[in-house]
Amino acid sequence: MSTTGTVSVPVRRRAPVLGTGLAVLLVALAAVAFLSVSLGSRSISLADVLRALSDMTVTSTDGSVTLEMRVPRTLLGILVGAALGVSGAVLQGVTRNPLADPGIMGINAGAAAFVVLAITVLGLRGISAYIWFAFLGAAVATLLVYAVASLGREGATPVKLALAGVAVTAGLTSVTTGIVMTDVDALNELRFWQVGSLAGRYAPILFGVAPFLGLGLVAALACGRSLNGLALGEDTARALGLNLARTRLLLFAVVAVLCGAATAACGPIVFVGLVVPHIARVLCGPDYRWILPYSLLLSPIALLLADIAGRVLGSPGELQVGVVLGVAGAPCFVALVRYGRMAEL
Amino acid sequence: MLSAGLVLSACGSAAEDSGSDSSGPWSFVDGSGETVKLDEIPKRIIAHAGEAAALMSFGIRPVGIYGDESVKTDPNLKDLDLDGIEILGEEWGVIDVEKAAELDPDLIVADWWPAEKAHGGFEEGVEEKSLKLAELAPVVGATQGESILSLAQGYEKLAESLGADVDDPELAADKNAFEEALSRFKEVVASKPELTVLAVSPSDDLLYVANPEYAPELLDFQEWGLKVINPDSPDKGFPYWENLSWENADKYQPDLLMIDSRQFDSTLAQAEKHPTWQTIRAAKADAIIQWPAFWLHTYGDYAQALEILADDLEKADENIGD
Repeated sequence: MSTTGTVSVPVRRRAPVLGTGLAVLLVALAAVAFLSVSLGSRSISLADVLRALSDMTVTSTDGSVTLEMRVPRTLLGILVGAALGVSGAVLQGVTRNPLADPGIMGINAGAAAFVVLAITVLGLRGISAYIWFAFLGAAVATLLVYAVASLGREGATPVKLALAGVAVTAGLTSVTTGIVMTDVDALNELRFWQVGSLAGRYAPILFGVAPFLGLGLVAALACGRSLNGLALGEDTARALGLNLARTRLLLFAVVAVLCGAATAACGPIVFVGLVVPHIARVLCGPDYRWILPYSLLLSPIALLLADIAGRVLGSPGELQVGVVLGVAGAPCFVALVRYGRMAEL
Repeated sequence: MLSAGLVLSACGSAAEDSGSDSSGPWSFVDGSGETVKLDEIPKRIIAHAGEAAALMSFGIRPVGIYGDESVKTDPNLKDLDLDGIEILGEEWGVIDVEKAAELDPDLIVADWWPAEKAHGGFEEGVEEKSLKLAELAPVVGATQGESILSLAQGYEKLAESLGADVDDPELAADKNAFEEALSRFKEVVASKPELTVLAVSPSDDLLYVANPEYAPELLDFQEWGLKVINPDSPDKGFPYWENLSWENADKYQPDLLMIDSRQFDSTLAQAEKHPTWQTIRAAKADAIIQWPAFWLHTYGDYAQALEILADDLEKADENIGD
């Protein structure tokens, strides 16, 4: 942050406003979470939902749907949404690239490549079996991007990060395609995983990824100051005492954990990580100490709303949240670019 | 497309013909209703997996085969001798057209799928470059529409037009076996008038319920008295299935569930991960049998499938579902 009083005064004055905004978002998230538990492709009366929630025991199909399906799905949606939004904000900050998202940085490609390897080499079937490979793949890809970008004198500069992301994505995607071309089962499994969905994920998956997402989120929220430093440019950041290499590595590790766990659990989910940080920036300005918590709350709201829409509109089946976000996200992004104040990074 | 096929067939006929006295002209009414005419009887045939197996049962060996899965696991092909037959694809929607062109085919044989208005291998979603297979030769096939029997008869007719001896004693034996299996199947079904059956395909995110209207073997079973449940709102774009979210898994309560026999064990294992799978009473009671889904093409295979089904139905309890 700037150290001159003239800059910090308006920020301090805005703090109560922004703080109130966060409280409003928290209430909104709670409301959306409640909607996500009470609405779905099956119609269950509000009374039955409340009864199931207060009893916390499964005595009927409606109770099973509420407690064993919708509650874990909603909690997973909150965690995954928060992870995607926060990691999007961190990635955009650390790469100073407004289009940075898990897809561009090779994370989805890495997860997909490892999922396919788990299916073909180890013969694993079903999301709960290969979730850890997706996680590992995402982490490997992120660190690979970082390692490739750090070669050379200047270290991992934004341009080199973007190029390394593209290169690693291309390399890993060709591995995936190569395997899938010769293995139909792998293709079918991958097709399901690649849409991005909260359906069919129950307590075991939630409990599996929750610790990683929780720790990652806490770590990310602590990175606001470093990101503010990086946003001022390399020379200024260095002058402020930031160790650029160490800061970037730390931020990348956080992103690897967050995106890796989120993508492992739900497949690649687009637009949340890309669009929400921009909305947060419009709402609260360039200070990452506000952008991060705003992204943290806005993203799960967006993800859950899209998931609810997919479940209600798709009944008796359901539309995958990845599809809904793909359809709804594109016009949002266009509108943001066209009419919004896209903040420069 | 047709003219290209004609040119190719003219070129290909230079190869020695197996001494058939009548060499054409040749014509066949395709499943789409269109009549395909060629100057000479086609000799070099590329066929989709099940259709290839049907032709081979009449002694007609295609030069190339493309399938939707590995020829080692495809239920149509796994016991056949494929020596000397070029494998052009082992994955749905992906066909090696370059290799196919080298085979210089006169005819391509694939089922006609009325719901998609396309031959197998040329549906929506198939790779653009795979679709070029249709430029090599005309495509014909029996229709997947109404019954496995119309498929079997369609390929018998096609084989006959291609010069096969359809009065072979082995084929007659297959037909007899089928008739026997069918009468036993009908008997068992008649002995359980209340029995209801639902054909499903469980996946990680949805439970797909088969629509008998587009599954010829299920239509046959209905015709023969078995109460296969018709889902009430099949997907409009892809009417083979009604897509149920797992929240709605208990929408239908049959006495017996049928799951695609091709990946029976892995599919069942996947289904059991969903808390609501057990809310289908038949699933809870383990009343689950194999469904020979979408692959049968011959009397011989159908006879075997019906025998297995009759065994399963004999053991079924008609008081599980609604």
